Amino acid sequence: MPLFRRKGAAGGEPTRLFYASDIHGSEPTYRKFLNAAKFYGVDALVFGGDLMGKLLIPIVRGAEGTWRARLQGQKHHLTTPEQLVQFRKKLDTLGFYSFECDPEEYRWYEGHQDRIDAKFDELAKAKLAEWVALAEERLAGTPIRVYLCGGNDDTDECLLALDEAARDRVVTCENRIVEIDDDHVMATVGYSTPTPWETPRERSDDQIGEVIEKLMSEVADPSRCVLNFHCPPLDSGLDTCMKLDASVWPPAPIIEHGQPVYYGAGSRSVTEALDRYQPTVGLHGHIHESRGSARFGRTTAFNPGSEYGEGVLRGVIVAIRGGQLTGHQFTSG
Amino acid sequence: MAEAEAVVPQVFTRRASRLVRVMSPYSAFIYNILTMGLIFPWTYVWAPTAFQGSNLVLGILFAFLFELPIALAYTWLATSLPRSGGDYVFQSRVFGGGFGFTVVFAFFVVWILQWVALSGWLMATLGLAPTFIGLGVATKIHAFTSWGTWCATSGGIITISILNALVSLVLLVSGFKNYVRFQYLMWYAILASFGLMLILFFTTSHGAFVSHINSFAASVDGTKNFFGAAKSAAAHAGVNFNPPFYLFGTLMVAPIAWTSLQWASYSVEQGGEIKNAHVFRNQLFIIVGSLAVTAGLLILLAVAMRHGIGQDGILTASSGYWLGNSNALIGGAILMPNLLAIALTTSPVLIAIIGFGYILNSFQIVCNCYIGCTRIMVAQGLDGLLPDWFSRVNARLKTPVNAHVAYFLASIPVIWAFNKVADWSTKWALGVTFANGAVMTLSALAAALLPYRARALYQASPGAKFRWGNIPLVTVLGGLGFALGAFMVGSFLFVKDLGLAYSNGKTPYIIVLLTAVFGLLVYFIMRTFRAQKGVKVEYAFAEIPPE
Repeated sequence: MPLFRRKGAAGGEPTRLFYASDIHGSEPTYRKFLNAAKFYGVDALVFGGDLMGKLLIPIVRGAEGTWRARLQGQKHHLTTPEQLVQFRKKLDTLGFYSFECDPEEYRWYEGHQDRIDAKFDELAKAKLAEWVALAEERLAGTPIRVYLCGGNDDTDECLLALDEAARDRVVTCENRIVEIDDDHVMATVGYSTPTPWETPRERSDDQIGEVIEKLMSEVADPSRCVLNFHCPPLDSGLDTCMKLDASVWPPAPIIEHGQPVYYGAGSRSVTEALDRYQPTVGLHGHIHESRGSARFGRTTAFNPGSEYGEGVLRGVIVAIRGGQLTGHQFTSG
Repeated sequence: MAEAEAVVPQVFTRRASRLVRVMSPYSAFIYNILTMGLIFPWTYVWAPTAFQGSNLVLGILFAFLFELPIALAYTWLATSLPRSGGDYVFQSRVFGGGFGFTVVFAFFVVWILQWVALSGWLMATLGLAPTFIGLGVATKIHAFTSWGTWCATSGGIITISILNALVSLVLLVSGFKNYVRFQYLMWYAILASFGLMLILFFTTSHGAFVSHINSFAASVDGTKNFFGAAKSAAAHAGVNFNPPFYLFGTLMVAPIAWTSLQWASYSVEQGGEIKNAHVFRNQLFIIVGSLAVTAGLLILLAVAMRHGIGQDGILTASSGYWLGNSNALIGGAILMPNLLAIALTTSPVLIAIIGFGYILNSFQIVCNCYIGCTRIMVAQGLDGLLPDWFSRVNARLKTPVNAHVAYFLASIPVIWAFNKVADWSTKWALGVTFANGAVMTLSALAAALLPYRARALYQASPGAKFRWGNIPLVTVLGGLGFALGAFMVGSFLFVKDLGLAYSNGKTPYIIVLLTAVFGLLVYFIMRTFRAQKGVKVEYAFAEIPPE
């Protein structure tokens, strides 16, 4: 019998992971994510996808050091640099990108979706690179690793920053099997099933199934594998969201008998993977309003939900040991 | 430079922005009205003799004005935390998890068990008894009258209350969509019922009312000159039929009417990913608009009753409830507003319409109890403050069956005690308004402190733009709401004729204290239990510093 038991091995100390997802560009939420390691005393940080922000706010320079912008349906006329700083801070919390421009530059973008998309990618990639660098800086000298991946809302262009900027503490884990501790590995898939918004990294359920199967073929012992699948299992309660009419733009909630209709938007392939492989634990995101847990045989799957827009970091701490989930705690930081 | 002034930039989106068209607020507006208890009778049967000389119309108006800043404060809270809203989250965020859990678990989850009992009581005494008694008179089928009379007995009320809770349990557990279909029916039924009542009261003269009620009582109980005898007995019991205007009494009508209007903030959820001014305005419309409409309808009913049955009719009816004047009962049933309206018609169809609306709205109340409290229990279970068992969602039915079943079982002894313990179903009935009002008053305070205790959260919300001078407007409104709510909560605690102080005994206060202690106890037990398993429940609320 070894004198010191390996971390995460049966009979030893459990490995504690902190999982969060869907922070969509929110700066304070990401910073909280990095600080969660020390705050919660965990061994690793796992991110489940959807790093990119959703909106781009042009801040147009006006006369005599003023700026104009629109946010949350309200016009903002910023007359001092301090107001501009506060405004940008609010955008950071909401996860919106912004850029200052002259009126002519604004008009160059207005109405040209391809230019807007390119600007999104430029700003998102730069922000993600900063985030990766911040993670490396904050976690330098510690044994803590942060596992990052994209989700369906992230573009491949933006996600390039993960591989380009990661050095030591940051592990880009999507579509790979990575080691979590001496006893467990993690499989990560960032795709989702089709959504009403035609997000960049949607795949059909069968395609997701193929990716999962290919990935899991590399896992020697699935019972000692953590599944970090962005898309939650279908009809599990972790994927319940409003049903939308995608024939209009933006998509509109479907109303029956005066109330919105809710349904499960998850993945059948993920459900089958949880049932078939019976991994240590399932970690999922994608549906922000569906916080909860669900059992699949011996496996518990979690979705901590997301409140990034409020600057709140929703997550879950899971403790694993010898292929077993020994404890969990939903968090709201 | 002039060119720059002309540029009002739009927000740039990408297709994957997950924008959702903002829902029409009308559906939520309508269902908020449904939740606010148009049928609650206490303003009309409690206040008039408990506070003789009070003006019901003014009292309801006071209740509206007192509730308004609370409702506005909830608008800020709802749009600051749209995804996981609710009093438990609001208070945990501002005051800390232990406080938020204790207050909401004790004064919502536990106390709303009394609402389950009240819902059954309303179903029996306000819904079934008047309807069947009325049908018995209109159709001359004696079985209806007997059945209606039985519904108003203690045994009848308890049986109906348990069945009411059980049917609600089965409906909700079977899937929320089934309840949604039913709710649609309930809305139209209560509208028809309420509208018909107003028409009957407004088209009746006092003389016609006396004639009708005497004939009605004679058909049910064989009583001759019912109204004269009831009024005489009321006078003997202490009713002054020409009291001077009583301002304090009118103010005390407000807490009673608050039983209905405090639920203005019930619908605090909204869908959609992006918060914006439309959403903020929609929430204002839903919460404040539904409050105003409901208050208006309650006032209209007071005016209609005054027209149709006169002040002496209102006072006589009230004496049967508050002063225990048994001569003012028909078939053992209290003269609730709908029974008075039923007595004005001989049409079984109109009676059925009035009765059906009240029966369904009573059923709506118990459903709301389950929906709200199981949602809280699931959230508290996920946070580790209740056993995991409560938060489990049934894989097949997709509903938290365990939480529903637990709530049903817990309600049975409360239903029994509510109807067996002397004075509980009359004098102490509004203890639940006190408890729930306390939660809402504290949430108003949470709103007032939101800009200071949860600064980043507040700054990110669409309501952050609004200020009164240098003070966030939510602080002003929340502070005002807290003060006015505290006035009403304090009234329940200390004004004799609002219930808790009625018997001059310590029992009601002990119950209040014990409930709070129970909530605190559950918190500490669960915290200790989880800590032994290496889980810190504080992590469910503790904010991580971003720097």
